[in-house]
Amino acid sequence: MQTLDRILSAILQQYATLMLVLVFCGVAVVGLLVIRDLESANSSAENMYRVSVQGLLQAGELQYFAQETRRATLYALTTNDSNLQVEYADQTRDADRKVTEGIAEYRQQAVLPEQLELANRLSRDWAEYLGIRDEVLASILEGSTKEAVSLDLSGGVPSFERVKKDLNEVRRLYDEQASQRLANVVATSRRSALRLIGTLGFTFLVSIVAVWAIQRSRMIGAIQLAKLQMEFVASVSHELRTPLAVLNSAADNIADGLVTGKPEIQRYGTVIRTQSRQMSELVDQILLFASVEDRSARYFFESLSVNQILDAAQRSTQELVEGSGFVLEQRVDADLPPVVGDLSALTQCLQNLIGNAVKYGGERKWIGLHASKGTSANGAGFEVRISVVDHGMGIDRSDLPHIFDPFYRSPRVVNMQIHGTGLGLSLAKRIAETMGGALTVVSEISAGSSFTLHLPAAERNEVDLRSAAAQPTSLSQQ
Amino acid sequence: MQGRIKFVGFLGLAALLLALVARQAAEGASPDPTDPEVTIQALAIIVNRSNSVDALSTSELRRIFLGDRSHWPNGRRITLVMREPGEPERRCMLHDLYQMSEGELKNHFLHGLFTGDILVSPKILATSIGVRKFVFNVPGAIGYVRLSDVDDTVKVLRVDELLPDDKGYRLKVELPVTK
Repeated sequence: MQTLDRILSAILQQYATLMLVLVFCGVAVVGLLVIRDLESANSSAENMYRVSVQGLLQAGELQYFAQETRRATLYALTTNDSNLQVEYADQTRDADRKVTEGIAEYRQQAVLPEQLELANRLSRDWAEYLGIRDEVLASILEGSTKEAVSLDLSGGVPSFERVKKDLNEVRRLYDEQASQRLANVVATSRRSALRLIGTLGFTFLVSIVAVWAIQRSRMIGAIQLAKLQMEFVASVSHELRTPLAVLNSAADNIADGLVTGKPEIQRYGTVIRTQSRQMSELVDQILLFASVEDRSARYFFESLSVNQILDAAQRSTQELVEGSGFVLEQRVDADLPPVVGDLSALTQCLQNLIGNAVKYGGERKWIGLHASKGTSANGAGFEVRISVVDHGMGIDRSDLPHIFDPFYRSPRVVNMQIHGTGLGLSLAKRIAETMGGALTVVSEISAGSSFTLHLPAAERNEVDLRSAAAQPTSLSQQ
Repeated sequence: MQGRIKFVGFLGLAALLLALVARQAAEGASPDPTDPEVTIQALAIIVNRSNSVDALSTSELRRIFLGDRSHWPNGRRITLVMREPGEPERRCMLHDLYQMSEGELKNHFLHGLFTGDILVSPKILATSIGVRKFVFNVPGAIGYVRLSDVDDTVKVLRVDELLPDDKGYRLKVELPVTK
């Protein structure tokens, strides 16, 4: 489960956007496929109507008019009035013209081999029937009724039957075509429905997984934060308990009258002072962190020279550095531009970095404090870089992404029982960012670390702040 | 008394003769082209387009229309198509071609049918268009229509090597002017 949590956390952090894009692309592709299927189904339905259904109607009309030619011809047989006979002849010719046009249209639309063959056969049979029909009609008009009937029975009826058979075949082909197209439409619709259901199901599933993963990630984050806070409380308690224990012990000894003599009293006084200051610094750090978190810290921005900042930082850490037996080597490049910031905050920032260098500086007991000028990250102007370098234990690569998180302490450091609150670097970074700069780190295990405070060089108009009254600026106004 | 009866009989006969003569005169009278009440049009002799005959002389035409000739050179039976009695086209044919009266023509065909010299009596159509359509439908048919009623569904014959448009064409029909 822990592995799953780690994987989830990594995926959500690194690939959340990519996963979202992938899911969106997947849904979009399926959506496009569904739209294509629907368009295809629509087109099939249209074709079915246009070709098959209208074809069936057309075949029906052909059958009707073919029957009309026959009817009119036979009606002419029933009268001796030449005027009526001529009228019936007109009717049959009107009907046969429609059939001829219809057959020509069918032949034009025919695509498949069997359709073409049927069209040709129908044309032949129709032409044959018309030839016989013309002869029958002529016989009727001439008055040779017997001849007309005989000709119709021997030739007209069989040829018309062939035409009827051909027209029935046309209908059958159209009907088949319509059925096939309908089946295609049904299949396409079914496929679209399945795709839609699949997409919806997949999207639903992914959404559930995503929600679960997000909730779990938040829960893990909350648990981790709570854990860190507990560790912080435990660490602070320990940090406070140690000097308190020393103070108690010293107080007990003094109260019990065990401390006599001026040198001993002085020694005890020094111990009490040192421990009190440590406790005071710890409380200040906690309060400062709380105020930063609460966005209620107020800074006084003014133009500062680099030497001002470095001197203030050295003064505040001199006792710690010398007391730990460290050597602080300062190197300042020439012609460094001034910066705008709060001296007290910047001092605190460097104090934290130097304090860490002492804590984790190892046996070499050397700290470098370098100030230089460089181009700012966005390439727009210059910046002042103040680096605190040590040759101590270094920071593991896996810890580097987290060292600026509040309350975070590397497992390696905790195992080595090196005390701390996990707030120093977090505070230093926030102060750097409030000053408009940044805090970066380069570190290697067993080689040491280099923390660099980047501060933007003051512009010309900002330098005038030196002569003007310093304006207090609340963090909440940043 | 007998003299009187003879005189009355003679007067009656004279009157009858006069009436006959007057009638003949009326029938034989040439149309007056300057008469504003009638218009003159050529009468076209039409046959089916499949008929190989293109021209006939007046005498041959008369033989055909009298039923004396029963078949075309291609063996097809000749079917006569005529207008109803009283129509201007029929009157023109009676006068210019048949040179008979209505009664004489009728008697001729009755006699021919009875004796078997004529196989089929002519077909009578009510309209010029009807005649044209009949000729179109029957390969052996021959008829006559005014020139303005001819279209490309039928073929016009030359009579004495003259088409209806040509000068000297004999068959002309008087048509009343419709106001």
